Amino acid sequence: MSTYWPWWAGAVGLALVTINHTLSTDRSLGVSAAWDRVLHWRRERQLERMDDEFTDDQALAEALAAATAEHFGTTATTTSTVPQVPYGTSQPPGAEAGSAASEGPAATSLRPAPLITQAVLLVSIFLGGLIAAVTSGRFHLRFDMGPGFRNLVTADSATMIAVLFAGGVLVGFGTRLAGGCSSGHGLSGCGRLRPVSIVATAVFFGTAVAVSFLLWKVI
Amino acid sequence: MRTRGAVLLASIITGLALGYTVTNIGFGDYAELNRMFTFQDPRMLLSFVGAVVIIVCAFALLRVRRTPGRIHAGVVPGALLFGTGWAISGGCPAIPIIQVASGYLPALITIVGVIVGMRLCRWANARYFHLDRGSCGL
Repeated sequence: MSTYWPWWAGAVGLALVTINHTLSTDRSLGVSAAWDRVLHWRRERQLERMDDEFTDDQALAEALAAATAEHFGTTATTTSTVPQVPYGTSQPPGAEAGSAASEGPAATSLRPAPLITQAVLLVSIFLGGLIAAVTSGRFHLRFDMGPGFRNLVTADSATMIAVLFAGGVLVGFGTRLAGGCSSGHGLSGCGRLRPVSIVATAVFFGTAVAVSFLLWKVI
Repeated sequence: MRTRGAVLLASIITGLALGYTVTNIGFGDYAELNRMFTFQDPRMLLSFVGAVVIIVCAFALLRVRRTPGRIHAGVVPGALLFGTGWAISGGCPAIPIIQVASGYLPALITIVGVIVGMRLCRWANARYFHLDRGSCGL
């Protein structure tokens, strides 16, 4: 079994993945957004079909604003002159589009990536992880989360299941409420110096530090 | 505007490279993660911070758009919940996938939790919060 990569190799690897994705797709990398869209694929497919029916962004934006208003239970504003809220979970891109006009290459499409590419992204993450685990000799089927989890959190199977489920719910709920995760806010967002991403990353990292110290020193 | 095929190919490359990279850094290893968050071992933290520094420089050189974003009411509470969940389960949304790929079968429960949490968030937002939360996927 080989050791983990040194810090500089990890930094270069994560940076190359993020930069390459941004440049080659015209969009930011965001794993939690991919999860969210795949989980709600029926609605996302419906929005994509609407997308296909419109050839100009103005008509598309008005239709999506109406759909978003229905989703959020608010009143639709169809008189806007800029795209309001394309797709239920995305933010109004009008201001960003305006600021981009004077800043050269955009490298951020206003339209979400096709749904199929988001599902493929998640499956590819699994395959990439599998290749890494097998080639490094770390692949090992097991019914626990390893000695670290056993020593720091719990050695009891039932408690482990409860903790993992509760942790997963917090991760799923929290990332979507905050609008991103460690890849979307942490890498892509901080890489773009977005204030919202810097705040989110500081808060989720700071919280994880506090909880980890509690697990290590107190519990 | 990229074609659908180009975005699909890029997503495959990104997924494979991301899964390979985070697994080899050790983000799927709970003990390594706890050592990072408690500053016992700076290796993974430096990987993350180093990556952000490289990305900032590259985006500045390539003149990639700096998107301002909006700090809405869900950012801080959401990040608090996410940070807590990440510390106790060891999983941010990509990590349980690579944990399962490394053979940690209980991480499937984390994935079920993530799915429940995301569905719950969308339902709660539509019914109660009415927040435009933004999306990192654009």
